[in-house]
Amino acid sequence: MPSYELALVLRQLPRPELIGVIRRTAEAIFDKGGIIRKFENLGTRALPHKVSEHGVVHREATHFTIAFDTAPTKIADLKEEFGRDIDIIRRHIFKVEDPVEHKCTLHEEMLPPAYRKDVQEIIEIAKRKQKPKYNYNSGLDYYPFQK
Amino acid sequence: MSKLTRFITQNVRVANLLGSRQLLSRSYANAPAVSEEELPTATNSDEPVDMPNPFEKDPQQCILCKHDISPHYKNVKLLSQFQSPYTGRIYGRHITGLCKQKQEDVEKAIMRAQRCLLMPGYHKDLDFLHDPKLFDPERPVRPHKY
Repeated sequence: MPSYELALVLRQLPRPELIGVIRRTAEAIFDKGGIIRKFENLGTRALPHKVSEHGVVHREATHFTIAFDTAPTKIADLKEEFGRDIDIIRRHIFKVEDPVEHKCTLHEEMLPPAYRKDVQEIIEIAKRKQKPKYNYNSGLDYYPFQK
Repeated sequence: MSKLTRFITQNVRVANLLGSRQLLSRSYANAPAVSEEELPTATNSDEPVDMPNPFEKDPQQCILCKHDISPHYKNVKLLSQFQSPYTGRIYGRHITGLCKQKQEDVEKAIMRAQRCLLMPGYHKDLDFLHDPKLFDPERPVRPHKY
């Protein structure tokens, strides 16, 4: 089962009700045969802009993330279920990706264009597209093709 | 006793020989970077020595690669440094001076944070407005593409 992260934006609620919402979402994940790895509370703060969801305008919200594992086929069902919950303003499920080893390519990118590999490839393609041209000083005293 | 003296003289001779060889090899070496193993291949002392360019600079690294930081959508304070305080737009690679991969990661993380309502899209978060500047948008690293 791949790892996912559920980023929730919850309506401003008193603490017991907030716990209820989180319990509800967690149980939905368990019902779909998932396992939960981590809960993370990112706090209550003003939203960057007002958001209208489920017929209510929200200006403040609680951010919460749940890291969980489940089958990829259940993700759409989970999203649909959270979408029906009126206490949830936004829900996004992201796949947790392993960190990839990366070497900085800035040095190659800062080289003059003629030395850059991608530019050299473009020049190569342009050369390939050029049609062979008849050379007029090739020794023949007539033009061999139809004019 | 005589055996011992012979032994000593032999050893001294060997030590002398070694010393003279070292002296010889030093006379060849005009650059400290060249190891002693390469030297005997040059038959003539006037021949140019094959060596890497000693004046070559270290390859440049972008600021995120240098400090080994991978941008994440929950790290809003870092991401907002790549956003314009006037329009909220993400600065391009010619201004940020990041490598291609890191710029792409930053852009992806900012989009993600904005969709999760963690970050504003039309201005910079007021809490981070006076953060230290990583680059000067007035002086781009490269000319822009338009």
